[in-house]
Order: sequence, then structure tokens, then C-alpha cells
Amino acid sequence: MAANSRTLEIKVISAENLKLDRKSVKKNASVTVRTDTNSQFCTTDIDTEGGAYPRWNEKLVLDLPTHSKSIIVEVHCKTSSGVRTIGTATVPASDFVGEYVPEGYLHFLSYRLRNHKGERNGIINISVRMKVPEMYACASSTTWSHSTMGFPAAGNKSFGGGVVTGVPVWYGAYQKNY
Amino acid sequence: MGGCFSDVRGGKDAVGGALPRPTEPNAKNDGAHNDAIEFFYREHGAYPLFTQLELSFSASKLLDLDVTSKSDPMVVVYLKKNDGKLEELGRTEVILNNLNPVWIQKVSVAYQFEMVQNLIFRVYDVDTQYHNVPVKTLNLRDQEFLGEGSCVLSEIVTKQNRSLTLTLKGKNGHGGLRNFGTLTVHAEETIASRSAVEIKFRCAHLDNKDLFSKSDPFLRISRTVETGGSIPICKTEVVDNNLNPTWKPLCLSMQQFGSKDTPLVIECFDFNSDGNHVLIGKLQKSVADLEKLFKEKSGVNFFIPSSRADHEKVLKGQLFVDQFCEREQFSFVDYISSGFELNFMVAVDFTGSNGDPRKPESMHYIDPYGRLNSYQQAITEVGQVIQFYDADKSFPAWGFGGRTANGTVSHCFNLNGNASESEVVGVEGIMAAYANALRNVALSGPTLFGQVVNRAAEIAARSLSSNNNKYYVLLIITDGILTDLQETKDALVRASNLPLSILIVGVGNADFRQMEILDADKGQRLESSTGRIATRDIVQFVPMRDVQSGQISVVQGLLEELPGQFLSYMRSMDIKPLTFNAAAQASTA
Repeated sequence: MAANSRTLEIKVISAENLKLDRKSVKKNASVTVRTDTNSQFCTTDIDTEGGAYPRWNEKLVLDLPTHSKSIIVEVHCKTSSGVRTIGTATVPASDFVGEYVPEGYLHFLSYRLRNHKGERNGIINISVRMKVPEMYACASSTTWSHSTMGFPAAGNKSFGGGVVTGVPVWYGAYQKNY
Repeated sequence: MGGCFSDVRGGKDAVGGALPRPTEPNAKNDGAHNDAIEFFYREHGAYPLFTQLELSFSASKLLDLDVTSKSDPMVVVYLKKNDGKLEELGRTEVILNNLNPVWIQKVSVAYQFEMVQNLIFRVYDVDTQYHNVPVKTLNLRDQEFLGEGSCVLSEIVTKQNRSLTLTLKGKNGHGGLRNFGTLTVHAEETIASRSAVEIKFRCAHLDNKDLFSKSDPFLRISRTVETGGSIPICKTEVVDNNLNPTWKPLCLSMQQFGSKDTPLVIECFDFNSDGNHVLIGKLQKSVADLEKLFKEKSGVNFFIPSSRADHEKVLKGQLFVDQFCEREQFSFVDYISSGFELNFMVAVDFTGSNGDPRKPESMHYIDPYGRLNSYQQAITEVGQVIQFYDADKSFPAWGFGGRTANGTVSHCFNLNGNASESEVVGVEGIMAAYANALRNVALSGPTLFGQVVNRAAEIAARSLSSNNNKYYVLLIITDGILTDLQETKDALVRASNLPLSILIVGVGNADFRQMEILDADKGQRLESSTGRIATRDIVQFVPMRDVQSGQISVVQGLLEELPGQFLSYMRSMDIKPLTFNAAAQASTA
């Protein structure tokens, strides 16, 4: 059964050195992530404290159609005169769908943001994981540590060491069609 | 010439307890303690003849070089080597508007008993913006020089209170007519520890110290020292205009706070942009006490020491602990001894710039009397390290830039001449394959690393399907100048989120500045041509001439950044040492 879309878990972690009109951003930055086919988009909360170095650590979920080639990450700033786009980055699907890397691998990625004039304007840090359809998940007895998704923002280890979600470690018959 | 600028935002930053970006090596909290090197020597029966020390600094009566405010001082520590060159060891943070600063950031140095270590301390007034800028990227040429002091490390260590006060002098060592002030250096041994605590502090009912608004409070935490006095270990960020502030969580390692029972002094100040922060209140608690405050959800009152002898005024203001969590930060050796494997791969430069191998001047010349050439020396010296850490001693070995038997130039050919299998066994295997390749491959060019890096990345990525306890290290031995820097950067960026590190060993006397760009130590993350930026710094560069002149041992050069890069990967992926997992599973079974 060929799914016509895959689920992506995108954690928007932080951004660095954001400027608006050549001046460092003071506050209220947020990030929108959307597919290149514009079929879906998600937005983070506004960061009020980080200024030009905001941190969100927010997980967004997007359905990526199989024919989609990339996702677009836009950083906005809410100013008194409205919402302005600080910069955009294009994340090609090939960066998180590697030929050799297993499905479900947590990819930490960073990109250069460019503003509408094409000038460099900061860096965006994200992590991307493709959610694997449940029927292919197999919790085999290997040394893979079943970690919590993403990483704890405030080390609250109240999980008790239980297995949370099956992350496929070995998938003999599954063939990728990319 | 200079300016009067003071970066107030920079002055409000937290120091010493911040949580780093997940993919950054947590070097600050580890105190630059390189247990990989110690482990290597210990296993060879050679107990290291050095102790890790931390230097803390304070100064008094510094020059005031800012016009409308005071100087914003920072200390840079150098080691003066035998040839007179200065090697930077580390920097403190920048303190806002203060001519009598007490710095929090410590500088680590290995105290080697049998060597004379000449240290030079330079104090600068930082005039450029430093808010959110890593201190090591500040360009010293843009700052103003405030004074210099020097001493031998053993002078500090042999004093009873481990503190030495130096009179600062001008650039050329003359005091001149100006009084540059004094700098006090204090040395303490670092204890390697894997415990850390994450604490979130909150205060209530703080006194108002500002006239037209409310106090802008921040906390400073200090540890009492055996020899008396206290050393600051961290400070929170400043919360503006708030008498009931909550600060961002602080992450403190046991190295910073000593032990759970060591008394800590917690002071709450009202921030003032002119540098004269007003003390709101202080109290003394150990980490164990703070844990108790968290569990009981109770607060503790601040007090102000009063002018009367032992009477302290108890204040209304209280400190609460809203979050308290202990975590373990496993060390590199914890992972290795639990079964994590390092897998090494070697790539050798076969480009024409090495010189015709038949001529004695060539770097690839095989001497009939057995004297090893630069490449053979590098392979042997590096080999002792990689054999130690690589369990199966089977290494993929490639050459690049050579014209192989079929007439085409290859940038990734198997050194052993085998079409399908790239692996060789042991250092002898690498040497034999290398000599063999020299007979069958013609030196050519250009010098490109991209393919070899891609091949190594492919191997590292493939291994993830079966398990996650392998980490790969690609050693590239080269004579130097890269032909296509961008292609190499692209390959490195693509590999930066995989369990892979790249060690570039430079032989010969070429200008290796390009390699230093790739080893992003100055803070500049590598950028690919498609706009992707390296997730982490996976490159380290070691020039063999530094090893051969005795400046550093090859073990030190190679293993310097590797533990940090390894740990940054494991921690960001939340992968723990194997024994930890087994124990956890056993307890839930």
C-alpha cells in the first residue's frame, strides 16, 4: 500500500543572529513551516525573550506528499506595523530522506536564512524525523535506546525507563522508492 | 581608536550555567577535561604526569578606557611556548562596567609537573558587542588593551592559598607612569565528575532598590573555598523590573559546585547599567539544601549582613526552587568502556604536490635504508592511537588524487589495490597497502576530499540500521592545499549530523590555513553551497610538524576534539552508555 503522504515531525529548536532592517530583532519571532506544494503549514508560538537568538523547542507535525521535494521554513517577526518575514530557508527532502540512513532517524539540521532581497540573515536550527507507519515498526532486541522523541527541554526524567514508541531499527524487506 | 561603547545587553547575560545547544560539545561543563588522553596513557601503564587545574580571575583598579562608562574587562590566557609563540588557552567572560571585576568563567590548564609553563595574562576592554556572541570569537584587535601580567604556573600552585596577585604592566612589559592595576589568579584542581543538576530559581517579595521602577534582579552563586573566601561559579540572566522574578533554569556540574554538601553563597543583586549592582540580599545553602527546598516546596529568606558585628537583618524576600533535577553527563570513557566502538578509516593523499616518489625530496619517497617518510611516520604515530581504540583493527583504507591502473584519476580508490574490499588489518596492513599503492598508482591531482568524506559518511549512515553504538573516525593524511574548498565543505556539512568525525593530519610544511577554516574552532559554522549549515563541528586538524617538534604529542593532537565531538553526537541523540540501558531494562523487567 503506497501512502500518498508521509508524516514529518519537525522540531523548531532555535534561530541565530536575526536582523530586521539591519538591526537585531528585539523580540516576537516565530517560525512557519510549510510544504513546497503549499498543502499544509504549521506555526510555532512567538518567542518573547530571546530577541535575535530565539528558542522555541516546539514540535510541529506536517504531512509531506510523496511528490513534494522540499519544505519551506520561514521566520517571522511580529512588529507594531504587522508581521514581517525575516528570512526563509528551503529544506530539500533529500536532507532528511537519506539513501543510507534508516527511516525514523532524528536528523539535526541547520540552514542559512535569506531575506526577500536574497541577503543572508541568520541561521535556523531544526530537527526532522519521518514518522514511520506503525506496521513497519519492529521493536527488536538490539542496543537501540528507546529514547523519548526529540530531547528533553528540562530534563524531566519521570519516564521510568519504559519503552515509548517502536522505532524501527531493522527493516529487512522494506524498500525505499526514492 | 577605541570607543566608549558598553554592551548593556551583554552585561545582562547569564554566565556559567547556561544550557548549551544540543549539538554543541559541552566543553564548559566538562572543564576541557580530556579523559580520552588520560585513558590512553593509563592503559599503557603511564600515569599522566599532569593535573587538570582551573584558573579563576579577579582584578582591581583597572584602567578606565571607556568615556561615558567604565571599561568592560575580559582576560585572555596564553601559554608561552619554547619558541616564543603564544598559544591561547582560554578566555573569561566580559564583565560590564567594572574596574574591580571578579570573573566567573574559568580557564582550564593542565599543570605538567616536569615542565616550566610560562603563562601570560592579558586584560582587554571589550568595545564591540558581546551579547550572545561566543567570547572566543571576539576579535582582540577591535578591543582595547588594559594590561598584561605573566608568571610561571608553578608559582601559583605552590602558594599556600593557591592565589597569586600580579601587577599589570603595559604591552612591552614596562610599567611606565601609568598604574595598570593588579590581577589575581587562583588555581584549583578540577574533579572529573559526571553529575550535574538543573535548577530553576524563583524569588518573591524582593526589596525595591530602583527609584523610578522596580529592581532588575539577578542571582550570583559562589562556592566557598578551602583556603577561605569564595569563587563565583555562575550568574543568572537579568530579569527587568520585577520583584518576583523567575529565571531560566541553570545547569551546574559537580565540577562547579564541588559536592552536594559544599556551602554555596547565593546573592541577589539589582542590576545597574553603570556596573554598580546593589546587593538585595544573600543566603547560604548547599545543593542538598536546595533539593530539600524543592521537595518541601518551601522558601528561604534572604538576609543582609548588617554593620553590627554578628547581627544579620532577615529580609522579606525569599528564594524558591521550582525545579530541581539531577542528570548524569556520561564521559567519553564511560561510553567506550561500556562497549561503544570507534571505527577508524584512513585516506592518503596521492597528489602530485608530494613530489615524484622516486626522488628523495618527495614526501612519498621510500628510503631503501628504512627511514620512514612523512606519510609513513604519520601512519605509524597515528596508528598507535587508532589501534588502541578500534576493537577489530580492521580499517578501510583509501587513496585520493592518484591515477590508478586503468588510467583514470580516482578520488577514492582502495589502497590495497583490491577492487571490492577496502579493508586492511592493523597498522602493518595500512603500511603494506600504502607501499603497494605507490608502486601501482601514479601521483596526480587535484586535491579533493569530497569523495572520501562521502564514502565515510555512507559507511557511518549504513551502520545506523543495525545499531547505534558505533562511531566512525576518518583520518585524512595530506600534504596540503585543497583544490576545491567548497566541495569539501559541502561533503562535511552533509556528514555533520552522522556519527562521524574527520581528523585531517597535515604533513610537510605547506600553509595549512584552509584546513583551519574547516576545523571550525573560531566559531564559524561551515556552510554548504545549498544553504545548509553544519549541525556540529566534526573536523579537527593536526599539523604533523607540531608533533615532530615536540609541541604536542600526536595522541594529544588527535584526541583533543574527538571526545567532545563524540559526546555532542551521543547527547544530542540521547544515546546513553550500554550498561546504563541494561541496568534500566533489568530494573523494569
